[in-house]
Amino acid sequence: MPNTYGSRTLTEWLTLLLGGVIILVGLYFVIAGGDLAMLGGSVYYVICGILLVAGGVFMVMGRTLGAYLYLGALAYTWVWSLWEVGFSPVDLLPRAFGPTLLGILVALTIPVLRRMETRRTLRGAV
Amino acid sequence: MRRSHLLATVACATLACAPLAANAQFAPAGSGGSPTSSVPGPGNGSGNSFEPTENTPAAKSRFSGPSPYAPQAPGVNAANLPDIGSMDPNDVPQMAPQQSASPASGDWAAYGHDDSQMRYSPLSEITPQNADQLKVAFVYHTGSYPRPGQTNKWAAETTPIKVGDGLYMCSAQNDIMKLDPATGKEIWRHNINEKYEAIPYTAACKGVTYFTSSQVPEGQPCHNRILEGTLDMRLIAVDAATGNLCEGFGNGGQVNLMQGLGESVPGFVSMTTPPPVVNGVVVVNHEVLDGQRRWAPSGVIRGYDAESGKFLWAWDVNRPDDHSQPTGNNHYSRGTPNSWAAMTGDNALGLVYVPTGNSASDYYSALRSPEENKVSSAVVALDVKTGSPRWVFQTVHKDVWDYDIGSQATLMDMPGQDGQPVPALIMPTKRGQTFVLDRRDGKPILPVEERPAPSPGVIPGDPRSPTQPWSTGFPALRVPDLKEKDMWGMSPIDQLFCRIKFRRANYTGEFTPPSVDKPWIEYPGYNGGSDWGSVSYDPQSGILIANWNITPMYDQLVTRKKADELGLMPIDDPNYKPGGGGAEGNGAMDGTPYGIVVTPFWDQYTGMMCNRPPYGMITAIDMKHGQKVLWQHPLGTARANGPWGLPTGLPWEIGTPNNGGSVVTAGGVVFIAAATDNQIRAIDEHTGKVVWSAVLPGGGQANPMTYEANGHQYVAIMAGGHHFMMTPVSDQLVVYALPDHKG
Repeated sequence: MPNTYGSRTLTEWLTLLLGGVIILVGLYFVIAGGDLAMLGGSVYYVICGILLVAGGVFMVMGRTLGAYLYLGALAYTWVWSLWEVGFSPVDLLPRAFGPTLLGILVALTIPVLRRMETRRTLRGAV
Repeated sequence: MRRSHLLATVACATLACAPLAANAQFAPAGSGGSPTSSVPGPGNGSGNSFEPTENTPAAKSRFSGPSPYAPQAPGVNAANLPDIGSMDPNDVPQMAPQQSASPASGDWAAYGHDDSQMRYSPLSEITPQNADQLKVAFVYHTGSYPRPGQTNKWAAETTPIKVGDGLYMCSAQNDIMKLDPATGKEIWRHNINEKYEAIPYTAACKGVTYFTSSQVPEGQPCHNRILEGTLDMRLIAVDAATGNLCEGFGNGGQVNLMQGLGESVPGFVSMTTPPPVVNGVVVVNHEVLDGQRRWAPSGVIRGYDAESGKFLWAWDVNRPDDHSQPTGNNHYSRGTPNSWAAMTGDNALGLVYVPTGNSASDYYSALRSPEENKVSSAVVALDVKTGSPRWVFQTVHKDVWDYDIGSQATLMDMPGQDGQPVPALIMPTKRGQTFVLDRRDGKPILPVEERPAPSPGVIPGDPRSPTQPWSTGFPALRVPDLKEKDMWGMSPIDQLFCRIKFRRANYTGEFTPPSVDKPWIEYPGYNGGSDWGSVSYDPQSGILIANWNITPMYDQLVTRKKADELGLMPIDDPNYKPGGGGAEGNGAMDGTPYGIVVTPFWDQYTGMMCNRPPYGMITAIDMKHGQKVLWQHPLGTARANGPWGLPTGLPWEIGTPNNGGSVVTAGGVVFIAAATDNQIRAIDEHTGKVVWSAVLPGGGQANPMTYEANGHQYVAIMAGGHHFMMTPVSDQLVVYALPDHKG
């Protein structure tokens, strides 16, 4: 792996950075969400956190699967939010707004991740 | 606990974000031992009074106040006045007709407009159609604001009164002034030289009282008087025409209200509301600083002759049959419930309606007497001839939640069963329960139900009342009990933080008992429901306007050892430093086994409330047709609020916490500021539509008023700000009028 880090473009670095941020948020969700679940609260956060950590790790590895996992977590977030509070904008704000913004960024990384994957496949073939 | 600490550390290390450990307000796990093992003293109160005697040894706490028998500290008798003598209440001269009984149509003769305290004005020049043209007519500076080196404890909360050719008001530090109502020009100003040290929790002066003497002939000085109660506990009378002290009142125009209160220090006891005059008796109540010590100075209510300032009677809860002034080294009973809200007089029935608070040490009730338990957090109708209660209506039984009543009672007529109007009283509360009572006997006119109040996990020896009263015939000014999904934030990150905070606390609804093992959530909480802004009522349309808060608190009792570690000490402890520790929320409750830690139920890292908005509401209720809600909406935009205290500038009507009340006018316009967006609004009384708003130079945490001068209507609001509401402090009274009538 280390030798593949030689010629990264800016967008690739930003993609890795985004993956890192998602790992951190995911860890917070797993840890604090685990706490919440054990206090008898919602289990959404711990489940979502696992998806986020996995997604972030795959993104950092330059795998498109990471972005899809994030988008999967986002879909789960929307379904859970609508189940919990319905179409109330005030209540959707803390639940879905930030994750959706992050989701747009993640969607933008898909071509970058694909390129990284292709390059790695080509290198593997040599 | 340990596990979550560890996890929190990991989370913080990885995220560099808000540490989870702080979910608990402080680490209760470290405080050691079960709560029972650390209860000193008599603890198991069964209703006896434990007030110390002269020979009781000093408390063992690291920080504690002096004996109640110790002398008053220098400055407590602020003007070094001699004692005032007593007179027989039967010798009070017949009262002259008062302006507040039937004000001229353009006047605002009492704090709540007139003796009914309806906050209704018959003026109608300003209407929903033309209100959007309102412009500043003049601004008046009172000159009272925090100087360099002074802690900001300001919240003027002032409402001027207008009688004839004068607008009379007080500054936050009790200087009294008369202004020209059309121009704002100062006609006279009487400085009372109040010291900064006298400021208790808040430098506030809600208003002054206009009194016409029957003994001094018309045309003589002090025929018309302005009466004021001060932060440093003086009752002052000045001539309305000149502002000079009334020599015939008290000692050269002043009475020392600290007489008989025993040991105290400046800032412990204070007056912030205009004293009512009922049948010639000026009735005074006072605020006693919350949370200091069980044996704080008395909450005694007293009557004085409005002509001479002489003492008439005292209502001392624990000495119900003794209405005299204490002599020698004696004092009124310590720690009894205090009343800091504006009182309402009733000349016809010879009553004064006293909204009461709690016995001292709000969150622990085992040391209260049965007499105190009967009258705390209640409306008490005192006979102004004797000082004895004629009836009592309690709004919370054995209150340990600081649901002291902040509102003034409003007098109005309710339709009776036989078509005859019933003299009624509306009593809003911090609980958001509004009680409508027959003021002749205190019986509810709208149904009141005693409902079970589950209280699992009470503090040993301090059981709660099994039931609490609910006003089922009046719309509740609150939202349902909180749930985890009501937690809010900017993102899932802070929402999760608040969800954990919610789950970590004890919460079984409104009457969750205080706890020492972990925090408990208090909703509506001490800033919730209706506070001192009270309600306004339009007797023509029958519409009542109420603004209210949705601001839960996060509280926890702490053992005495922990309280000492936190440095909690009563204000009269020799180590107490002004502005530091104790007065705002957290309290030593010296003399009880516990101290108290109180914070808003918020994310302390973003400064945002944990519960979802709105945080403040305004509601119109039709009192003539079955108390139906006509309209209701959030009050206050997000323009001056936001995370980390940053203004967002957003016009979104999120509904902010609000302090201060409303005015309703015959023109069909409601005026209200109150919200923490620092705006004043005109609202269509019938539709709730905001028809005008303007940004104030400071927070509008005061009751507005309206009056007529030179044939035109003016609207006045004190934009004094509020330190606890974190709105900008100013010393400006801002007065608006329609454009043709500027100053």
